Amino acid sequence: MIASEYIESFSIAFAALRQNKLRAVLTTLGIVIGIAVVTLMGWALNSLDAAFDATIDILGNDMLYVDKWSWAGGNNWRLMESRKNITIEQAEELIERLKTPQVAVPMGSLWGRSIIYNDLKANGFTVTGVRATYTQTPAGNVDEGRFFSEIEDRYSENVVVVGYGVKKVFFPNSDPIGKTIKINGMQFTIIGVIAKRGTALMDFVDNQVFIPLNSFFGLYGKSIRSISIAVKAGSPELLDDVRSEVVGTMRIVRNLPPGKDEDFSINESQMFHEQVAEIRFYIWAIGIFLTAMSFIVGMIGIMNVMFVSVTERTKEIGIRKAIGAKRLSILMQFLVEAATLCVAGAIVAILLCIVAAAGIYFAFKEQAPFLTPYIPVPILIIAIVVSVVVGILAGLFPALRAARMNPVDALRYE
Amino acid sequence: MQTTTPNEVLIQIEHISKIYTMGDEKVFALRDISLTLHRNEYVAIMGPSGSGKSTLMNMLGCLDTPTSGEYWLNGQDVSKMDDAELAEVRNKQIGFVFQTFNLLARASTLKNVELPLVYGGIKGEARKERAERALQDVGLGDRMGHKPNELSGGQRQRVAIARALVTKPSIILADEPTGNLDSKTGVEIMRLFEEIWKQGNTVILVTHEDDIARHARRIIRVRDGLVESDLVNPNPVTLLD
Repeated sequence: MIASEYIESFSIAFAALRQNKLRAVLTTLGIVIGIAVVTLMGWALNSLDAAFDATIDILGNDMLYVDKWSWAGGNNWRLMESRKNITIEQAEELIERLKTPQVAVPMGSLWGRSIIYNDLKANGFTVTGVRATYTQTPAGNVDEGRFFSEIEDRYSENVVVVGYGVKKVFFPNSDPIGKTIKINGMQFTIIGVIAKRGTALMDFVDNQVFIPLNSFFGLYGKSIRSISIAVKAGSPELLDDVRSEVVGTMRIVRNLPPGKDEDFSINESQMFHEQVAEIRFYIWAIGIFLTAMSFIVGMIGIMNVMFVSVTERTKEIGIRKAIGAKRLSILMQFLVEAATLCVAGAIVAILLCIVAAAGIYFAFKEQAPFLTPYIPVPILIIAIVVSVVVGILAGLFPALRAARMNPVDALRYE
Repeated sequence: MQTTTPNEVLIQIEHISKIYTMGDEKVFALRDISLTLHRNEYVAIMGPSGSGKSTLMNMLGCLDTPTSGEYWLNGQDVSKMDDAELAEVRNKQIGFVFQTFNLLARASTLKNVELPLVYGGIKGEARKERAERALQDVGLGDRMGHKPNELSGGQRQRVAIARALVTKPSIILADEPTGNLDSKTGVEIMRLFEEIWKQGNTVILVTHEDDIARHARRIIRVRDGLVESDLVNPNPVTLLD
């Protein structure tokens, strides 16, 4: 094939489409819908993905969490419930023995707690008791004031470092440092505020208060909940080494004989990536199934109209062959025509989607803050490529029929 | 212009047969025909419908291949060629002129004439210039932007002749070129063919009309798939002074 023939193919395709505008519009409707669905779906999933990733990163990519419960294992709920709680003594023994991590901190948490400031009461906060070393983890990064000290922890001082969400609820226009809030009926003095960490999907991470672990035990008792241990490896590359040391040491601490299953879980952000990948896969599978359906309908439409077009132009095909068009040239001519039809449909669909995406973004900014007001370029490129492929597939059989026509018969056709 | 010696052999057909199978029955469209045509001949192939005249023309024009026999065109054995090779031979060596003109309705005059050059891989300005010159040669230099339906029958046939000439083919193959024209316009077209022939081209007319065949210098009559007669025209009609 020669470049001049491609150009010829395009000009023929455009002329043929101009000739039958209404027919072209009606035929491409299926493609327009298909491309619109795939583009909008890609856009929504892409936005979700970005939000998921940002959320997962909150946990820290070099962090491990030793816990009675696995974040991932919904199925093994009973098994995990039967595990013995991790006691503070076991946690401290583990931390004592570990050599590779940068820092390891025991933590006890209770969810859904209420906090009172003067007459204002708000629910849904997580109260977490930690050691002073927690400030070395990304979740303990203080923005205002300071974290509590080892001494304050040892003497169970009633001091609290609050999350950004607490500041937003109780002290929107004032300095929270030095104020006193009530947790479980006890007065705690705010000495610091944690930097904002929440994202669109997970703003609840900011609705957290940190108190000294000893104060936590004083407040709720020592055996109220299994203790978990936050382990900071220092960098993502060290994670594998740290993980194996943590597992081995924890087995010793928990007195597990060799060959026996672990009675604790190592949680890390990677698990969420895996879980999200699974959810993402199902969403895509459903989306692709739906788009495939509309593409099949669209393809049948285009194939049909291309067969009509080939039959209508039998004489033209004969003329072209008589003056030297090869089979390949004729094949290309009709493939280009079908692909052009589809790409035109895709462009219409993309324009509609760009407007729709901006509209949806502004209409649902509050409900779905993870959406972006624009459609990422790779998705648009995929949409165009898909439309070209669909066009070529739909045009293949009609184009082959045209290419294989006998010139003598084609010329005789009236 | 072609630089040729007058008696150079252009077409050599040897024992060509064409058999169509219709159900169990075999129909002989051509039965063992042999012919030799020289460069710069002006030949008419005549015969009633069903004589095999059209099949012979399709064969000469490389639109169809024989069931048996050999066809040498310009030193190449065309009868053994595949589809793509035949397309190239049609493009480079043969210029068709049809009874029904067979122009592309949607394309301008110029685009119609350019089309063989498109398939011949000639690009851009060179292509346009050659097409323009071919149109000027047939007297339609002022009709290049017109669509075929804006032209008269005679003008349309001139466009078709320009399209046939634009690739400088070895043969101009005209199938009933005046069949759709009134007699006055027909004469003008025949004058054009004579000019083309005088310029050194080989012209083959396929017709059933004696009035048309009279212009040729050699008349081949076909009947029942056989060459009935192959004679030099003793009194050719000349339209040029």
